[in-house]
Amino acid sequence: MDSMTPQLLHPTTSSSSDRSRRKRKKKSSPTSLDSSLEKWRSEKQQQIYSTKLVRALKELRISQQPSSSSSSSVPRGGRAVREVADRALAVAARGKTLWSRAILSKAVKLKFRKQKRQRISNPVTTMLTTGSIRSKKQRATVLRLKAKGLPAVQRKVKLLSRLVPGCRKQTLPVVLEETTDYIAAMEMQIRTMTAILSAVSSSPPPPPGHDGGQTHMLG
Amino acid sequence: MSGRRSRSRQSSGTSRISEDQINDLIIKLQQLLPELRDSRRSDKVSAARVLQDTCNYIRNLHREVDDLSERLSELLANTDTAQAALIRSLLTQ
Repeated sequence: MDSMTPQLLHPTTSSSSDRSRRKRKKKSSPTSLDSSLEKWRSEKQQQIYSTKLVRALKELRISQQPSSSSSSSVPRGGRAVREVADRALAVAARGKTLWSRAILSKAVKLKFRKQKRQRISNPVTTMLTTGSIRSKKQRATVLRLKAKGLPAVQRKVKLLSRLVPGCRKQTLPVVLEETTDYIAAMEMQIRTMTAILSAVSSSPPPPPGHDGGQTHMLG
Repeated sequence: MSGRRSRSRQSSGTSRISEDQINDLIIKLQQLLPELRDSRRSDKVSAARVLQDTCNYIRNLHREVDDLSERLSELLANTDTAQAALIRSLLTQ
């Protein structure tokens, strides 16, 4: 008579493996930047963004169908898709980063400017930019930074701050942090859009080429 | 985060950020860049190089997103196939 005692095997191994797994998961000291980068690389985040994007694209198509556009001036074609994708990405960031808030406030500002032309800016923009308004203490702006005083570095940081939305007047470390998050988010955006394109169209799009001259894949 | 702050020394009255923090951030940025991450030499890459490559990389990413948006918009213009395919993609995910 076999007396199988599986319970001897399962609880101990599972608990020990759980414990070891828990130990392995805990890194030394995860900074907020690392955790946000991990978030943009996770599969779940991509799923979330993908569904958001598809839904937004459907709405876009429906709003573009009737030839007489109702109220808001919706730009045509690729530009509209780009804006929708950026907005969905900013929403996926959950408002924790500057660039996402800047993208969203851009969209809202346009709407306000269309409807009310009288008392536009002051209450709205202060409400929107409360995230970025700091107290008037001294801070190391990109201009007055004494640490990295090299003009070359400063010039490049200024360039960089112009590329990332919402970072034009930010301090150097803020720009760097926002850049890392922005790059990770854009990479996810590109992955998602490529996946949608390949799922929707019969022929998969050519992979984003790093080399310059890219010929079409025949066949 | 508090560990980072305690490390900052008061070099000058105005700038509260230490050079170490900035170097850390630049190193972290370097990890993200594809070309600088794979070929990691023992000596540090200069900050200007990292920043320049970051600018180029972001411009590349923007261009890719624009390109993908163009393709998606072309797809959306084609209504019947797009709708069926979108529904299909949502179901299969």
